[in-house]
Amino acid sequence: MESWLEWARGPAFIFAFSFMVIGLVRHVLLTVSQMVRTMRRAGDKNLNYGSLIVSTLKWLFPVTKMKDQLLFSLTSLVFHVAVILVPVFLAGHIALWERSLGLSWPALPNATADLLTIIAVISAVALVVERAFARASRSLSRFQDYALPLLVALPFASGFLAMHPAMNPFPYEATMLFHVMSANILFILVPLTKLSHMAMIPGVQFVSEVAWHWPPDAGSRLAVTLGKENEKI
Amino acid sequence: MSTSKYSYYVEEKALEVEDRPRKFLEAFATVLEHGSYGLAMDVYTRLSTKCSRCAAACQLYQTTQEDRDIPCRRSELLFTVYRRYFTRAGIARARIFGGFTLTDEYIDEMAEEFYRCTACRRCKLTCPMGVDHGLVTHLARWLLAEVEAIPKALLVSVREQLEGESGNTSAIPVVALRDTCEFLEEEFEEEYGVTGIKFPIDVEDSEFVFFPAVSDYLLEPDTLMGNAAVMHVTGGSWTIGTNNFDGINYGLFYSDRMMERIVKNEVEELRRLKGKKILVGECGHATRSAWFVDTFCGEEAPEVVNCLQYAHQQWKAGKIPIDESKKIKEKVTYHDPCNIARAGKITEEPRELLKAICEDFVEMTPNRTENYCCGGGGGTVSIDEIRDFRTKKMGKRKADQIRATGAELVVSPCANCKKQLKEVCEDNGLESVQVVGLHDLLLKVIDFEAAGVEKFESSGDDDDWQPPAEN
Repeated sequence: MESWLEWARGPAFIFAFSFMVIGLVRHVLLTVSQMVRTMRRAGDKNLNYGSLIVSTLKWLFPVTKMKDQLLFSLTSLVFHVAVILVPVFLAGHIALWERSLGLSWPALPNATADLLTIIAVISAVALVVERAFARASRSLSRFQDYALPLLVALPFASGFLAMHPAMNPFPYEATMLFHVMSANILFILVPLTKLSHMAMIPGVQFVSEVAWHWPPDAGSRLAVTLGKENEKI
Repeated sequence: MSTSKYSYYVEEKALEVEDRPRKFLEAFATVLEHGSYGLAMDVYTRLSTKCSRCAAACQLYQTTQEDRDIPCRRSELLFTVYRRYFTRAGIARARIFGGFTLTDEYIDEMAEEFYRCTACRRCKLTCPMGVDHGLVTHLARWLLAEVEAIPKALLVSVREQLEGESGNTSAIPVVALRDTCEFLEEEFEEEYGVTGIKFPIDVEDSEFVFFPAVSDYLLEPDTLMGNAAVMHVTGGSWTIGTNNFDGINYGLFYSDRMMERIVKNEVEELRRLKGKKILVGECGHATRSAWFVDTFCGEEAPEVVNCLQYAHQQWKAGKIPIDESKKIKEKVTYHDPCNIARAGKITEEPRELLKAICEDFVEMTPNRTENYCCGGGGGTVSIDEIRDFRTKKMGKRKADQIRATGAELVVSPCANCKKQLKEVCEDNGLESVQVVGLHDLLLKVIDFEAAGVEKFESSGDDDDWQPPAEN
């Protein structure tokens, strides 16, 4: 068991985490370069940066976006706050970074981290339940839409158990192995699924605006390519 | 010839297209290569989270509660095609596991569904991933048009505009245009007792060349007279071109290819008349499509001004005197046309004008960028055979909104919105509500005397002439 844990925390983690980072960087670079290319080809080169930045910020801190579906939106907001803060600012995680790379930053108090972890797990389950019970979202949902939030909850739940041996019915090392491996699997999935929004979200408002900026002659080029330039309407 | 394969009529030739899936995909591949949609499709198909917030924002879903009317579900129809045929993962998955294949039936489903969306883009405001479902509808309709799945009503209008003798969507010949303009000039004398207000035709070197929705010449004389009155009292230099006097651009609703040709034709007429700016009449989509002039004409593009912007600017400068005694007494509300309001481009100008000329102005809620579509957007207003759908499903939310204001007059500076709103009111028990343009009201309240407009002296045989009734 111990050697498995060593492997999960060592090479497996390094691979999974690098896979995520490289995958996300690749997405961002490809998207940005496609945006630049689109704008370079566009007839209208004006973008209203001011309003795009404002709407991007409003979505990054979506306090003004709660009103339409209050319960769902609040659950989602709470979930996001928890899953962003805990992994990054947990004292135990920071200690690992410090030991391996010598990097360190301020940590959350353990009690706060505990509370946020519980919130993360509950809100992840709540998101799935709300998705299944609201008719519109149920009709839209694919398998991954249910699976991903639950998968995200796993490292949080197991991490919490590992930190609180008194409440943990499972052996410590097995819990830790589960914790690390579920996180590793998640890291691999991030660039391959909609979870990649964690890196792309600051750009999506720009993407939707840039998409309306067309080359001056896209229509006539299409006509030529399809042999329709002399076709009657 | 036409047929009712869908809930709207299409031409016979739409049924004769062979090998539609292949042609659809060829068009898709070509659009991705030459256009700017690849970026959005890439990001949307990857990130779309299926959260259903858009359903709550959509006026159609609010009314029908049908799954098919959830914006994200509709867009997914096109996303599925994109994923399968234009992403490496999709192609690989199809090789190994089979699965989705584009079929004739699937194209028919898209043809039906993408015309149940008015592309009003309200749902875009609520999408955390920034997915613009209006853009997806816009693209899907273009691809469908390349396999001839186009509502006949839109197709015949564009055919007349681009290939017909009249060169405009209402098939108005130039003689009829001249007659109408002369008639309206006489109306100023008979109805308002003023003379000298002109509809200048083919005047070279004017600052503005005027492109209203051409249907205004048939249906909205008061709007046009309002336009002419504003231009006259402000000393604006403007003209109507006889080669092209139609601002309507249905290309925006089904084909970028047509849109490009129609916008370029407007610019050509402007150049012929050596005009400087395009002045668009009261029409939302005509304005938005004219704004694309920068796209199609690059740095050479002329400036585009909507008549509301012009009137507002001149009124602020004190050039449009208002007769306080003639201010509108009825309760008035304002409907924001999506094409000028959604992106926040024109929302305050009409309100400031209305507050200045109406004694009792009320807002409907929500409004401005968050307004509800009239229900006839995206060209659907021209499709008469779907009137029931437009007014009772798509337009029901709007009817509720108007009812809640208790207004007697609904002002909407858009030819399409006006036609649709009149039908919405008729079909939803709001017969007493009147739908008018903003310039219709301006026309009633302008103080022609203070503006120094010459009084019309009756030649004597017009003994039955009465001064205009006060409101």
